[in-house]
Amino acid sequence: MSETQSESTARQLAEGARDRVRFEEEALELADQVYRVARRLVRSREEAEDLVQDTYARAFRSWRQYTPGTNLRAWLLRILTNLNIDRGRREQRAPDVQSLEQGDYYLYDRLSVDGNENLDEERVVERLSQDSIVDALADVPHNFRDVIVLVDIGEFSYQDAAQILDIPVGTVMSRLHRGRRALKQSLAESTVGGS
Amino acid sequence: MCPCDCGGCEQRLQPYVDRELTAAEVVEVEQHLASCGYCRRCYELEDTFRRVVKKVLVEPMPPDLKAKLAALRTPLA
Repeated sequence: MSETQSESTARQLAEGARDRVRFEEEALELADQVYRVARRLVRSREEAEDLVQDTYARAFRSWRQYTPGTNLRAWLLRILTNLNIDRGRREQRAPDVQSLEQGDYYLYDRLSVDGNENLDEERVVERLSQDSIVDALADVPHNFRDVIVLVDIGEFSYQDAAQILDIPVGTVMSRLHRGRRALKQSLAESTVGGS
Repeated sequence: MCPCDCGGCEQRLQPYVDRELTAAEVVEVEQHLASCGYCRRCYELEDTFRRVVKKVLVEPMPPDLKAKLAALRTPLA
C-alpha cells in the first residue's frame, strides 16, 4: 500500500530530525579535540571557548552542508579557522624574515653549542620550559601557527590541513617548515640565551 | 653539518617525522640514519621536540564547555 502525502512528509521530517540529532551527537563527541586546536590558535582560554561555541552554533545551523561519511572533525575545524580569521586577529607583526633563514638543524646546533657530540636529546628538550614553548608558539606569525597547530596538535595530515585552510598542500608544507623554524629559533634563543 | 652535505637530509627531516614520506623514501632516510650519527641525533631531537611541544600545548577542554555546546543544539519540535 503506498503512503499518503502527509505520511510521506511526516516520515521525511522524522528522518531529518534523526539525522540532525545524529550529527549533533557526533559533533559533540569531537568537542574536546576541537577545543585543543582552538586553544592554541588564540591567546586565551576565554577566546578559545568563545570560538568553539561560535563554531558549534554555526555547525548546528548548517549541519545539512556536512556530507555524512566525510571527516567531521576537519569540517568543524574548517568552520573554526574561518571564524577565527573573520574575527580579525590579524594585528600581529609581520614575520621577521631574518629569523626564518636558519636550517632545520638549527635547534640542535644551538643547543649543543658546547660541542658535546654525545648530547642527550631528551635532556636537551627538557631544558625547554612549558611557558617558553607556549610563548614561542604565540609569537609565531598566525599563518604559520595555524598549520603547526593543525598538524602537531590536531594531528591532521598535510592534505587535511590544506583542505581546512583552503590552501595547496605545498603551502602547508612550506608554512609548517618556516613556522617550526621560527618556533625552534625562538626556543633556542630563550634557552641558550641569544645568539 | 651532516658529513654528506647534500642538503637532502635536512629537507626530508620534516616529512619523515610527520610520516608523510612514501615507503621508498622512508627506506632511503632510514638507511642514511643508520650510517650518519649527526643526522640521527638531529632526527631524534626533532622527534622528541615534537612530542614535548605537543604534550605541553595540549590543554583539555574546560569541563563545563560541553554542556554549553549541547545547549546550542536545535530543540526537538
